[in-house]
Amino acid sequence: MVESKLLVKGVPPPALEREFTIVGRPLNRRDALEKVTGQAKYSGDIKLPNMLCGKILRCPHPRARIRRIETRRAEALPGVKAILTKDNAEGWRTYWYNVPQLAFAECITHEGQEVAAVAAEDITIAQKALDLIDVEYEVLPPMLDVEETLETSLLPLVADEEYPGREIYDRKPYVIKRGDIDKGFAEADVIVEDTYTTQASYHGTIQTRACVASWDNETLTVWDAIQGVWNSKEALGHSMGIAPEKVRVIVKYIGGGFGSKAWSHRISFYAAKLSIVTGRPVRIERTRGEEFLAHPRRWDCKMYIKIGTKRDGTLTAIYERALVNAGAAALETNYYAMQIIWHTSNLHGCPNVYLEQIGVFTNLQINGPTRSPLNMPAIFGLESHMDRVAEAIGMDPLEFRLKNYTNYCTVGSDAGEVPNAALIENDAKIPYSSKTLDECMKLVTKAIGWEKRKSCQIAPAGSRRRGVGMASYLTFQGVGLHPYTAYADVEIKHDGTITLFIGVVDIGGGQGTIFPMIAAEELGVNPDDITVVFGDTKDTRYGPSCHVSRVTSELGPAVLQAAAEARRHLFEIAAPILGAKAEELQSKYGQVYVKSGPWRSVPLKTVYNKIDPEEPIRGGGARAPNPNSPAFSIFGAQAAEVEVDIETGRVDVLRIAAAHDFGRAINPKLCVSQVQGGIEFGVGFALSEEGLYDPKTGKLLNKNLHQYKMPTSLDMPQIDTFLVGAEDPYFAYSAKGAGENTNAPTPAAIRNAIYNAIGIWFNDLPITPDKILKAIHEKRKGG
Amino acid sequence: MVSTENLPKHKKEMSLTVNGKKVKAKIDCRMTLAEFLREELELTGTKVGCNRAECGSCTVMMNGKPVLSCTILAVEAQDGEVLTIEGLKGEEGKLHPLQETFIEEDALQCGYCTPGIIMSIIALLDRNAHPTEADVKGAIDGNLCRCGSFPNIIKATLKVSEKNG
Repeated sequence: MVESKLLVKGVPPPALEREFTIVGRPLNRRDALEKVTGQAKYSGDIKLPNMLCGKILRCPHPRARIRRIETRRAEALPGVKAILTKDNAEGWRTYWYNVPQLAFAECITHEGQEVAAVAAEDITIAQKALDLIDVEYEVLPPMLDVEETLETSLLPLVADEEYPGREIYDRKPYVIKRGDIDKGFAEADVIVEDTYTTQASYHGTIQTRACVASWDNETLTVWDAIQGVWNSKEALGHSMGIAPEKVRVIVKYIGGGFGSKAWSHRISFYAAKLSIVTGRPVRIERTRGEEFLAHPRRWDCKMYIKIGTKRDGTLTAIYERALVNAGAAALETNYYAMQIIWHTSNLHGCPNVYLEQIGVFTNLQINGPTRSPLNMPAIFGLESHMDRVAEAIGMDPLEFRLKNYTNYCTVGSDAGEVPNAALIENDAKIPYSSKTLDECMKLVTKAIGWEKRKSCQIAPAGSRRRGVGMASYLTFQGVGLHPYTAYADVEIKHDGTITLFIGVVDIGGGQGTIFPMIAAEELGVNPDDITVVFGDTKDTRYGPSCHVSRVTSELGPAVLQAAAEARRHLFEIAAPILGAKAEELQSKYGQVYVKSGPWRSVPLKTVYNKIDPEEPIRGGGARAPNPNSPAFSIFGAQAAEVEVDIETGRVDVLRIAAAHDFGRAINPKLCVSQVQGGIEFGVGFALSEEGLYDPKTGKLLNKNLHQYKMPTSLDMPQIDTFLVGAEDPYFAYSAKGAGENTNAPTPAAIRNAIYNAIGIWFNDLPITPDKILKAIHEKRKGG
Repeated sequence: MVSTENLPKHKKEMSLTVNGKKVKAKIDCRMTLAEFLREELELTGTKVGCNRAECGSCTVMMNGKPVLSCTILAVEAQDGEVLTIEGLKGEEGKLHPLQETFIEEDALQCGYCTPGIIMSIIALLDRNAHPTEADVKGAIDGNLCRCGSFPNIIKATLKVSEKNG
């Protein structure tokens, strides 16, 4: 019997010791009916009696100082109920990832920063009021470019004098060091170096951020579009000076997140404050343009990578220097850029590495979680360069990766924490709890027809060239910010009602579907027998925000433990009925039976009837923190087949084979959807999406869905998905996270396939037709 | 210089049919059809993702054709017939076959673009009961779905088409 290592506080529940009845079934998502009928109420659909409309005045300049704000004309407009500015809300702070930020600063550090918030009777009046607020700015030349900024001694503007914080991180290298990098390069037969750049990109959630806040002199209720109700509750309470227990946050549906809504963001605070000031409910909904400006975007990065290898493909040294544009502010300031070198450190086995990343504050927009925020850039650089090196030694890229395969992590899964040292130096070898990346790589290359890479570029006629390429990735699991604990509760009543309470949001990944599946498996009932209370801080305990693919791996064990405890109480009631001991019992399909003689059984309904009507059965679960060892990660590989038109520079991604190791899929149907979603993100990042800034003013030029080019139905490739997983006793039925990172390998796989098609390496994303045509032209000129 | 005078109030009496029901309203001429449906009739199934005809999430049927309700004024629907996602259910609340296959094929994740996409496909199926994969892709190329549900949306549509016999 495998010892249960489930990551829970207290003694892990005993293993099921029977086949699964629910887990692994491709059930339909539970909220699909509401979503296909238009009944699902998103935050912007909430309409309360007497509700006001809020609007935000935003600074049009990336770097400026407010000299004067005059609101008298706006105040005089009939229907305007409140105007907040730095003059009447002095010192008021909002919180983003626990980072205090002045709600209204005098120093503007990025375009679109909030200058005033207005509440009015309707949207037309609110909009008009914004036009009537006069602001006099001292416009300053913005700091935009990372390398230029690195070379100046000019400090970034500090928006919040009391909490500057930024100089601690600004322009300071973080280093991961292992072995002896000089020795590693000395031992190498071949050394290849190159530079890779990736662009600023945006979430493009179809729902723009909307929030309704209502203060009734006692309780603040907020219907929001955020990925975590609990972190938002705490932040709002803190900002408003209200005890957190008097704040209720509700998110029943959310129209896409991808990190952009990972934490309560500014409009929630403004809506709440305006409701407190006016005594009426307030709704604020961002326009698409505001959405682009006020979202934390994805950092743009520049990565210099140098790899040394033996002729036989053994890696001897990896050096990387990554420059990250942290914009005006970034998640927990800019240490997050550590993520780049974490991935480079751990994906392939190499004894000697020296990896540094430097985050630089500029006056571009704030940065934050964006589906594989720095993972996708990091993996693009590394996996592109791996193909480069393989080519240099004449080795097959798959074989090269398998040659350097490792079952050990070298920098633990705590990379989500702020490192307390700028240098991480160790030669640790922490085993992964489970890893099947080798199988993933073999599967996708086989599925794409890897043998074609030797011939396919010359096959099609005319101006089209085909090619195939691959890339792999990993990312850490079960890590987010404080606290690690996730709680779950199960309640079973005398009448047979079973309720699961979880303080998490269903972001569209199907969290509201898979957790009742876990509870149902453990209880031996049908998932439809279980009501789920989620997306609401009322009646639930702390649950993690739905980002970093963390919810399944963090909350799963807690749900399992809660259900197991409730089941134990049920078995105690059933034991005398069956004339057996509680620990001799098991349940499935709504029956409790004796393990040694399953014909001795009793329906659970009979057992429910014996529950004290006054005292429902309750089971609770709490997740334990990750141990130092083993390391928890998810893995995957993708292979792409592309067609490049050498006359037009157009790239069509024809097919992507994707194999991902998420542990066990609780619901494979939903996991496949996650993979498809990731690939859409990856295709856009590889080929078309890019935030374009005016180089002089620093203003974002394409803040709309027409010029910011996200993939459409016509751009999506055929996708073949393989879910590969191994037993992993630390997680609920071995289930790890499956959502966020499925885009991480896509851009490198596409880029490597383009090389296979036309023999040109592209190192600068996105790979647009103009870049392709220019490169083809230069290649022809050169030879 | 922006005028501080009272804002104009251009109201117009109008009547139209929404989801088979006659509606009479006195509405602001500046209001879009999407605003009218969402704010006045509280038919919030129609979503507004961009408010400038770029994302397709506000797609509804007007007089038998798919339109982007964010860029049509409500007054343009005078005497017209509008069908929204809420009007798709048949007798006794029976789902439209497309809604059923959307659920079965997991053709949605966050669900925000879903009503608009379903309306675009309904319009396609009205024109062509047996579309090809390319037809389906073409019919929804103006509907953005950031969750990446396109492969399953296409599958769900082709499945309905098969059911059409």
